[in-house]
Amino acid sequence: MNTRLLMTMHVKVGTPLNVGAVPHGTRRTAPLGGGTFEGPRLRGTILPGGSADWQLLRSDGVLEMDLRFTLQTGDGALISMRSFGLRHGPPEVMAAIGRGETVDPSTYYFRTMPRFETAHPAYMFLNRLIAVATGDRRPEGPIYTIHEVL
Amino acid sequence: MSVPIHSRPLMVLRLATSATQDIGSTPQGTLTIFPVIGGSFEGERLRGKVLAGGGDWVTAHGDGTVTLDLRVTLETDDEGLIHMTFTGVRDDANHYFRTVPRFETAVPKYAFLNRLVAVGIGEIRPEGPVHLIEEIL
Repeated sequence: MNTRLLMTMHVKVGTPLNVGAVPHGTRRTAPLGGGTFEGPRLRGTILPGGSADWQLLRSDGVLEMDLRFTLQTGDGALISMRSFGLRHGPPEVMAAIGRGETVDPSTYYFRTMPRFETAHPAYMFLNRLIAVATGDRRPEGPIYTIHEVL
Repeated sequence: MSVPIHSRPLMVLRLATSATQDIGSTPQGTLTIFPVIGGSFEGERLRGKVLAGGGDWVTAHGDGTVTLDLRVTLETDDEGLIHMTFTGVRDDANHYFRTVPRFETAVPKYAFLNRLVAVGIGEIRPEGPVHLIEEIL
């Protein structure tokens, strides 16, 4: 499988809302308060409002993420991005992340599959691609390195 | 620190489909349903057959792309059942056909499937669609 870098995204996370124990697991919603993205073909900011992460901690210890972002490029285009993702790892590593520590991202599994929608002619290529992202959960918010699947 | 993308083969999935159900032009595009009547999957860690009863809901859009929405049941050679879905995009003008499969199973031996994300590289062959599915490590 061949990939190429699409962008690196730095996300600011707001105060999470703990929905609690739902039939499928423990649900938590984290509003995403902004951030930036930068890559060879696009760069800009994450718009707060409409950007959030709906998380479900499953009974097998895997965190499912349902992320939605609205991106605004430096030249004014709006891009809707939705990702499904999974995060899991050894209990001690996940506990350290929970305590807000910086952890080597290679010690746990944090992967997402973003899809994009835009009406802007300069970014139509995004409508046609599948992408894979690796995540790095930092205390200040996650960093996603997003690769286009070629 | 960014982590590079590594992958490894998970399975080759072959699907057999019957006559399409042409729903036609809808607000979302032109919807064609491909009933799945069988098939096979094979990889180092799992192999078996695709059970009849699934399907792929395929929507052709005005921009030349086609989106896929598949759900099937896989049965391993040791009788484990695996629920598999994928969404994907096909862009024939650019020879691009990629999917994002997900798996759900209750069988402990195959529980690793519940915890991974994967990418499929699709090909249309004379005998039907073939998906080379890789686990994202």
